[in-house]
Amino acid sequence: MREHTFLNIINPVKDKMYRLALRLLTSREAAEDATQEVILKLWSRKEKIKHYANIEAFAMTVTKNYCLDQLKLKYHNNLRIVHQNYESNHQSLQSEIEVNDEMEWLGRIVATLPEQQKMIFQLRDVEQYDYDEIAEIMEMNQTAIRVNLSRARKAIREKLIKKHNYGIN
Amino acid sequence: MELTKIEKLLERYDEGETSLTEEKILREYFLNNRVPEHLSSYKMMFMFSAKQSNQTLQETPKIKTTRTNWYAWSSIAAILIVALGLFFFNDANQMNQNDLGTITDEEIALEKTKETLTMISQIMNEGKSDLVYLKEFNNTKNKIIQID
Repeated sequence: MREHTFLNIINPVKDKMYRLALRLLTSREAAEDATQEVILKLWSRKEKIKHYANIEAFAMTVTKNYCLDQLKLKYHNNLRIVHQNYESNHQSLQSEIEVNDEMEWLGRIVATLPEQQKMIFQLRDVEQYDYDEIAEIMEMNQTAIRVNLSRARKAIREKLIKKHNYGIN
Repeated sequence: MELTKIEKLLERYDEGETSLTEEKILREYFLNNRVPEHLSSYKMMFMFSAKQSNQTLQETPKIKTTRTNWYAWSSIAAILIVALGLFFFNDANQMNQNDLGTITDEEIALEKTKETLTMISQIMNEGKSDLVYLKEFNNTKNKIIQID
């Protein structure tokens, strides 16, 4: 496989890989590094990749495993990935600020979910994969995925409603 | 009418039973319409999901392997050239050392040895004769330092 063909395959997937990494690792730098690392990994295994039916799902699986390894590593070293994703504070309309606040809040809610639910929510609601693909990426069966997805959706909404009712938390 | 249909879909959405097309209907509804108060939490969720998919990887992926391969191969080639060069160079020296011009005839060998030894002694004597001047050093030294 040539470099050119490889990049043609990877380019449509790389943003999805990055977003999954970002969902798991939170930090933008860490997610960028992870994506880069995974792409290199795939490139070094390019001869094998040719035989996979669904390269996209495989790339997502490798990303998932890499990020989970990364988290495990940091956990055992008693380190946390520190993120410094400061939003640029350009002027915007009041309503836009409110919406942005809300979105940021949702991001924090999603970050509190267990890793599996986080990933499945990301794959389904953000990337809109079908259940077959999610099952392939997550290496789980479809029933378990539906259960986790349902839990994630309910948990997110519950926390959101709670926040609106009490203002804080 | 519309709302009851949406609410029914949402119920199934919560259970993770909706299909992608049904979710698309929900997404379009929540992103494009004003929704009643009790459904605003769903609107937030769909907005969040839609917004998240806008994030993209800023840097273009780099594939470094080809370059490092090139470096590795060129360094291997350089090492080989140096190693082979040293090997052949040493070999040439050894060939010279083997060819010493040894004389097999005994009488000629004796003559040659004698010749060589006299030549050495001659040169030695010549060299030694120049050492006479060293005495001058002692003479001068004795003038300055007198040891009785």
